[in-house]
Amino acid sequence: METLDIALSKMALLYGLCLLPGTLLWLVGLRLSKDIAIGILRMSIQLALVGIYLKILFNLNHPGLNGLWILIMLLVADFSILQRAGLKARYFMLATFSAIAFSILFSTAYLVVLVIQPPLYYDARYIVPLAGMILGNCLQGNVIALERFYSSLRKNENEYMTFLMLGATRWEAVRPYYRDAIKAAINPTIASMATMGLVSLPGMMTGQILGGSEPWLAVKYQIAIMICIFTSTTLAALINLKLSLNIAFNAFDVLRDEVIKKS
Amino acid sequence: MSPIIRFDHVSVAADKKMILSDISFALFPGEKAVLCGKSGAGKSSVLRTLLGLQAIRLGTVYFQDIPLTPSSVQGIRSCAAYIGQEPVLGAETVREALLLPFQFKTHRGHRPTEAQLIEVLQRLQLPADILKQESRRISGGEKQRIALARGLLLGKKLYLLDEVTSALDAESKQAVFDVFSDPRMTVLSIAHDADWLQRCDIVFELEAGRLIQEKRHGNT
Repeated sequence: METLDIALSKMALLYGLCLLPGTLLWLVGLRLSKDIAIGILRMSIQLALVGIYLKILFNLNHPGLNGLWILIMLLVADFSILQRAGLKARYFMLATFSAIAFSILFSTAYLVVLVIQPPLYYDARYIVPLAGMILGNCLQGNVIALERFYSSLRKNENEYMTFLMLGATRWEAVRPYYRDAIKAAINPTIASMATMGLVSLPGMMTGQILGGSEPWLAVKYQIAIMICIFTSTTLAALINLKLSLNIAFNAFDVLRDEVIKKS
Repeated sequence: MSPIIRFDHVSVAADKKMILSDISFALFPGEKAVLCGKSGAGKSSVLRTLLGLQAIRLGTVYFQDIPLTPSSVQGIRSCAAYIGQEPVLGAETVREALLLPFQFKTHRGHRPTEAQLIEVLQRLQLPADILKQESRRISGGEKQRIALARGLLLGKKLYLLDEVTSALDAESKQAVFDVFSDPRMTVLSIAHDADWLQRCDIVFELEAGRLIQEKRHGNT
């Protein structure tokens, strides 16, 4: 079964749909027209470029090029995580990169090499979209973990210092905030797994069904991707926070002000 | 006898501004000292520096003759009890707050008995049923005494007190004075309370980050 194409004229019709929420928002007094326009424009340009890149990537299907694409995705994710978590990239970029690179490569390799087993392990048609999906979710989790951890540590600085004064090591003193941050990072994935299929049909599954796949095959891929997202988000958040501890504190266990962006 | 605390020409800066300049003093075991001065004189900075919370620009702080370094700071922190104006108890109930330090590796295995908990509360004029209360529901003065009780349970010998008697009534204040009359306890405090100042052996007066006067037993 072929997926029906959307003609350019119909795409224009689709963009026209945005006028409805745009007008309603304007009527309730929210002047977001500029933000909405920029958002839609950026999405369209970025996806068009990705479309071109992916076409080239799939045609060439070269392991080095596929690897380079994943490396670029990891680097962009690295900076994006730190930017959104309010941490300075020059201090944490290596730690965050190591954490996400390890967890993404581990879960993608596990899925591709051990589970899906395509004829070519480096096949762009598998590794690029799968790594991308896992990374996208992992990014959200890491932003939440870092942001939650450092904001609660700053908010509860007196409590943290009290723990140190009561004989706690740095690790013992930060552990309550570490646990909270990890929980906050993985909760959305757990909630999403628990309601999947009931509340919404997940994007990847919908895409596969629209692309002509059998629903049962789409279900198996969706389960596979969710398990990998959960694994990589958990691994990356645990490793990322742990590595960041060595950077964020001075030798006297005091949080270094200079590593956090001023809001 | 060597001093328990010694500041040797210590200068501390924060945000490119000097907050302590060339501070030198010594405190011997069992002595009770108080830091006085206007707001911003550097009193809290002295306590924070001793605990390794302020970077030292010049000079050295010694604790039991050991210079304050990243490797020695843990030892100082575990020997000293810091009690602020609004202490953080760090647990849901008062009982959990008192037992909190015994979860940490350093104190594991030294968990006090119920009788020891009650005895220490009584010394500070606190009723035994306070153990069941939620930490956030007790008053500021009670929080200070619970923090003090925690220090006593840990057998701490050095107490860094920031305005601990400010929220106490006369009876509770007397109980705190009695606890610190123990000659084995060393106290470095911040206070404006006249009773407290009278009971201390040494008064250090600070002004704009400098130690301008040191009175020992009535001598300047």
